[in-house]
Amino acid sequence: MKKNLAPIARLFWNALGIAILVFLFGASYRVTQIDFPRLVRDAYKARDFVMAFLSPDVVTRDVETTVIEMNFPVPCGSAPEAEMPDSGPRLVTNVPCAEARQTFILEGFDLLPNSEVNVSWLLPTGGTLRIGRVTTDEDGHFLIEVEVRPITAAQDGVPSRITAETLVPVGPLKPSQALLDVMREMFVTIFMALLSTTIATIIAAPLSFLAASNITKRGVLGTAVYYIARSFFNFIRSFEPLVMASVFAFWLGYGPFAGSLALTVVTTASLGKLFSEAVESIDSGPIEAIQATGANRLQTVLYAVVPQIVPDFISFIVYHWDINVRISTIIGFVGGGGIGYYLNEQINSMVGYHRAGTAIWAIIIVVWALDFLSAEVRKRLT
Amino acid sequence: MLRIENLTKIYPNGTRALHDVSFEVQDGEFLVVIGLSGSGKSTLLRCINRLIEPTSGKIFWDDIDITAASPAELRHIRRHIGMVFQQFNLVKRSSVMTNVLSGRLGYANPWLSLLGIWPAADKEMALKALERVGIADKAQSRADALSGGQQQRVGIARALMQDPKIILADEPVASLDPVLSHSILQYLEQLNKDGLTVICSLHFLDLVHRYATRVIALKDGVKVFEGLPKEIDRAKFKEIYGEEAQEVRAASFEAEA
Repeated sequence: MKKNLAPIARLFWNALGIAILVFLFGASYRVTQIDFPRLVRDAYKARDFVMAFLSPDVVTRDVETTVIEMNFPVPCGSAPEAEMPDSGPRLVTNVPCAEARQTFILEGFDLLPNSEVNVSWLLPTGGTLRIGRVTTDEDGHFLIEVEVRPITAAQDGVPSRITAETLVPVGPLKPSQALLDVMREMFVTIFMALLSTTIATIIAAPLSFLAASNITKRGVLGTAVYYIARSFFNFIRSFEPLVMASVFAFWLGYGPFAGSLALTVVTTASLGKLFSEAVESIDSGPIEAIQATGANRLQTVLYAVVPQIVPDFISFIVYHWDINVRISTIIGFVGGGGIGYYLNEQINSMVGYHRAGTAIWAIIIVVWALDFLSAEVRKRLT
Repeated sequence: MLRIENLTKIYPNGTRALHDVSFEVQDGEFLVVIGLSGSGKSTLLRCINRLIEPTSGKIFWDDIDITAASPAELRHIRRHIGMVFQQFNLVKRSSVMTNVLSGRLGYANPWLSLLGIWPAADKEMALKALERVGIADKAQSRADALSGGQQQRVGIARALMQDPKIILADEPVASLDPVLSHSILQYLEQLNKDGLTVICSLHFLDLVHRYATRVIALKDGVKVFEGLPKEIDRAKFKEIYGEEAQEVRAASFEAEA
């Protein structure tokens, strides 16, 4: 077509082509807002949660709590002041009482060294008001500044009390709550994927025969059925899993059911396509041979087609189960339940980074294991 | 008696595979169809059991018009026409036994056969058929574990399950080592001697001379010869296979004859 172009014209077209390419890449570079130095500059922002991810919340120990308390009248004179002992585990304040909105210093002495201590107000009404969590030093000492809130005022001569709960881990390591939660959600995810893959197979397998040209596309009726089946698969294939999950989550509420339905729709489309292609690529010889024996259409499919496609089908099914575990993690973020939902909750809670780390590790391990498993199964089927 | 009348097949892409072919096959004949690749041999054989729908023309088997049979009637007719293929056309992943039993599908209870349940009589028949072709010990092997010659024997056993009156054999030895040709064709010859009509397409002329009771030759879909094997002399050979093929084929003909 272009072979008669003069060299100068060819040069022009080549230059134009290169200019267009340069423009396209330049434009993509700009819209992506690429800023590589920022990767280094803002690295500190990622440090906290990356560190948290690297130290997942996996094991825990039983905690024994020892509590010491002292009265602290607010305002002064509203109740008797506490005596301050000078030995043993004790709380000491720099003032014996305080007015609302004053600040005082609270110290603890001779507590357990290097331990976590929860410090809070025990209000006369029976409620508690958290002051903070501190860690004792090697001598069992801590110091914290406390601002007096009006709610801590004494009532009818009963003062608020300051309590310090020392948390001491005792006993053997055991799985943490986060680990148990993650395992439960992981199973939900795996079973979601399994169920959706199964339902999708049940729908896609028979339909895929209708969408296979070598089986169905015969006569007017067959051709019509073939195009209808194909269009059906093409139609549902245009739905993205995330979009589907959002729709179902909106419709049925957040949870595994919505996620499974979204996965089922997406998997049906994908398996239907793969199955029908597998059916189309079979050796037609056996079909011919079985037809020649006087077998009917269904017998032909069962004796000549099915044995040829079973390994492919199983391989696709296992592969999709594997894929669905991955997708359902993402689908969880938009309300599909399972491990993704849990992960999303923990990341958004700001204090759950260690638990998020547990979830991320669990996902990595399960995805790796399933990947390995499905590869092994597929290898054996060939 | 099989009577083919003015059989023409034009494929949707316009290829004229058969053009106005007529001939008769008497019961008990071993009719060999010869011709170059693409001359219409396979199409002709497949038109007889309507694996390929003829474009026009008629095929009568005794008084039955095969070309006019309804789908149900056609299945009944096909039960009595066994077919053996160049590529064996076994279901490779299934066992030899299942492959042989599938020859009985036209007779079997459709629902039981879909469940894979076969009457004891059929299984016994399948074993006998395998014994007849000498590979009863392979019944439980996977079909693709067998050698080519063995696979073709499974193909023959499958055809035997149909209780056939006619055997259509489409290049049954073309995919095999030439030295195995006789071992396969002898089974067909034996069936022929037991009273079956055999219609077989072949490539090697020495095999044609050895087995055929009668020969027809196709060239570009047209019947160019019908007669006894011994009537194919050099002139006829040239006419059937064309000038270009002459040297090669003649040489191989002489070497093998």
